[in-house]
Amino acid sequence: MGSDGAPQEGFLTTTVDTVVNWARSNSLMPMPMGLACCAIEMMAFAAPKYDVARFGSEAMRFSPRQADLMIVAGWVSYKMAHTIRRVWDQMADPKWCIAMGACASTGGMHRCYGVVQGLDNFLPVDVYIPGCPPRPEAVIHALMDIQEKIRNEYSVAQDGIFGKEQPDIAPRKPSIVTPDGKDTISPSGLYTQ
Amino acid sequence: MSIINDTDFKETLKFWPRHNEAIYRRLESKHSWIEKTSSGDGSPVDALEQEMVLNIGPQHPATHGVLRCVVKLDGETIKKCVVDIGYLHRGIEKIAENKSYQEFMPYTDRMDYLSPYSNNVAWCLAVEKLAGIEIPDRAQWIRMMMSEVARISSHLLWMGVGLMDAGAVSVFLWTFQAREDIYAIFDEVAGARLTVSHSRIGGVATDINDVGFNLIKDFAEKFPASLAGWEKLLNRNRIWIDRNIGIGYMSAEDVVAAGMTGPNLRGSGIAHDIRRFEPYLKYDEVDFNIPIRTEGDALARYFVRLDEMKESIKIIRQCLEKLETIQGPVRVEDAKRAYPSKNDVYYSMEGLIHDFMYTDTGVSPPKGAAAYHAIEAPKGELGFYLQSDGTGTPWRAKMNSPSFSNLQALETMMEGAQMGDMVIMIGTIDPVLGEADK
Amino acid sequence: MPQHDRTSQSPSTLPFNFVPQEPETAVENNPHEKATTQVDTVISALEKEFTDAIGETVVYAGERTVRVDASRIVDVCVFLKDKQGFNYLADLGGIDRFTEDDRYEIFYNLVDLNDSKRIRLVIRLDEEKLSVSTLTGVYPAANWNERECYDMFGITFDGHPDMRRMFMPEDFEYFPLRKEFPLLGVPGSLPLPPQEPTGELTMDPFPAAHGSKPPKSFEEVQTTDGDEG
Repeated sequence: MGSDGAPQEGFLTTTVDTVVNWARSNSLMPMPMGLACCAIEMMAFAAPKYDVARFGSEAMRFSPRQADLMIVAGWVSYKMAHTIRRVWDQMADPKWCIAMGACASTGGMHRCYGVVQGLDNFLPVDVYIPGCPPRPEAVIHALMDIQEKIRNEYSVAQDGIFGKEQPDIAPRKPSIVTPDGKDTISPSGLYTQ
Repeated sequence: MSIINDTDFKETLKFWPRHNEAIYRRLESKHSWIEKTSSGDGSPVDALEQEMVLNIGPQHPATHGVLRCVVKLDGETIKKCVVDIGYLHRGIEKIAENKSYQEFMPYTDRMDYLSPYSNNVAWCLAVEKLAGIEIPDRAQWIRMMMSEVARISSHLLWMGVGLMDAGAVSVFLWTFQAREDIYAIFDEVAGARLTVSHSRIGGVATDINDVGFNLIKDFAEKFPASLAGWEKLLNRNRIWIDRNIGIGYMSAEDVVAAGMTGPNLRGSGIAHDIRRFEPYLKYDEVDFNIPIRTEGDALARYFVRLDEMKESIKIIRQCLEKLETIQGPVRVEDAKRAYPSKNDVYYSMEGLIHDFMYTDTGVSPPKGAAAYHAIEAPKGELGFYLQSDGTGTPWRAKMNSPSFSNLQALETMMEGAQMGDMVIMIGTIDPVLGEADK
Repeated sequence: MPQHDRTSQSPSTLPFNFVPQEPETAVENNPHEKATTQVDTVISALEKEFTDAIGETVVYAGERTVRVDASRIVDVCVFLKDKQGFNYLADLGGIDRFTEDDRYEIFYNLVDLNDSKRIRLVIRLDEEKLSVSTLTGVYPAANWNERECYDMFGITFDGHPDMRRMFMPEDFEYFPLRKEFPLLGVPGSLPLPPQEPTGELTMDPFPAAHGSKPPKSFEEVQTTDGDEG
């Protein structure tokens, strides 16, 4: 599992990695930066029908110091962008960001002077959700993508042992398994039915 | 003991003296300071040096959007409040000058995003007034029914979020579960949960099929029971009443002078509802009451909105009965006024050409014409003032949004109030920053 | 479906050619006419009281729009409020007509709550002298609406208690709803936050389009001096 170095060290750090990443991904505390209509769908995503508490993200913390996932829901005006950046800077590492909806991702339907055409102009975004507003299922899908991304991260311990040069691991797409759990289906196989 | 002796609290803090002393000593950091009524040598203390300025920033948990209040506090009392909005400003009035009347429909969804159907209806009615388009009866009943469903949806969110801000989080979960039923209705009727653009100029996009009809019928039957259950919990609830009574009091003269609208007017005794003032759609043919209260505080507005939900159910029931008998087209059959039906577009040449021409040039009201049409949105009087230049895009579209008019009064409402009531006051005005900031 | 007889018509008279609607068709029998805008008695009272300040009245879709002289608007509103009972200001807004003279127009939407009446007043302002007296003394509700007018058009209101911008930040130098202001704004007029926590404001409105990406949280910010830890 480890690329270089003694097998025992690689085994230890990747096991620690697995545990730490499992803990982090299953206890994401979203900080809802609910600005506009997507905030209403985000509230619906926390509501009983599309319960996000079952993913461990029940604790929606409005204080940036206590949260690790910022969900920006709604269009970002230039005036608000500075506030969002300050809030983002106050969040402690590790932190992730979801740009929920078309407006947060690219400015959406608001192609005008007041709206920043995309969060990624000033924030590092991890997952973009298309939709206007995206259904709560889409937001759950994005949360699961973030969980997948976290599970594939390497730990800081490896930095100390192997140095800063690490291969950039692309997140593995979730695979679809057959009901007996033995084989995987490629998505194109699904549409032949 | 010296810190507390200088303050007003020395009489009340005779119990737990060491505990409070320790707390006040911790408070004396550079970020806050304690009010002193007299300095060490007996001379009066300059009041201006002893007030705290608190920024209740655009990002805060009271999820009414991005509203910023900068308050000057004297202890717990708010001396002065400055409301800063504009954090959600997009310039949709400028966008409207570049889109055709039909293209602008989705932007109206995103104004008051708690009840998007009302905004669609408001825009359609304003354009229809400008161009002199008459809509078929069935479309009017459908629009009216869906607007009332949207009104219930908006008031449910107000109730859930208002109570969550006051501390009762369970009501938020219950009302959102009820809103999921409403979303199922919109999903079936209009194709989208939240941002429906179902209303079209000249009518409505599609007719309601049986599934949607039955969903609305079931909702109209089951909802009053859930509402009665919540009322039983809240209407005589000591905590809820204590938190709301006397808060945010606006007298009848204040509320008219401040230009407030909607349940804020009706909670202070002014009998003004656009559905009776300037009846539109078929509101003059249904039987419903307008709830009015005279106390003028947050509790009065709470009761006004609750009763409005019950009246909406009444209206919905009457619309359902009427829709079973009235059949007909759901859009006016004039190619220069409304889109042809999809059937015509796909299967006839004229329909296809009309579709293209309508998208391209659209409704072209007379050059220089101007009209204003207002509806009673859940928040108040939502109106559009449209000026035409003869082409298919408006020359000027001014949006008279209720939340903008209501938020003006927040500054006067907060003066002299306690800090802990601030959240209740914002909730009772029920602002939606998407429409306040245009 | 309307039946079109195309046998005798030339293409230029086909019914779906673009032709602006004739005013008469929308004026008479407008199905959305309301009873509240039948305020002819009020207009005649206005004309009797202020003979020189009241201009022409446009009637369209049942509504009456009265043209008032800009310098007398406060007197007219005081008369309407005290003598005619229009106690509620519903809306106030500006319009950019983009003409050479009398470029800007402000409309006032006044309502009589007790007698169910609605009237619209309109004043015209010239670009050279872009200011008018405030209405906040008569209707306190005009406060934010006038601020919005100032923010969007640059029309100043003399005597306003709080003449600041409403939506745009105070640093913004333009007036967005003027017709010459581009829809996408002026690049660099509104700065974006810095690309790293300690940095300078970003003046480019679309830095992501030019390839700059804010550093990820788990990457270290590249500093020019040496390597640390």
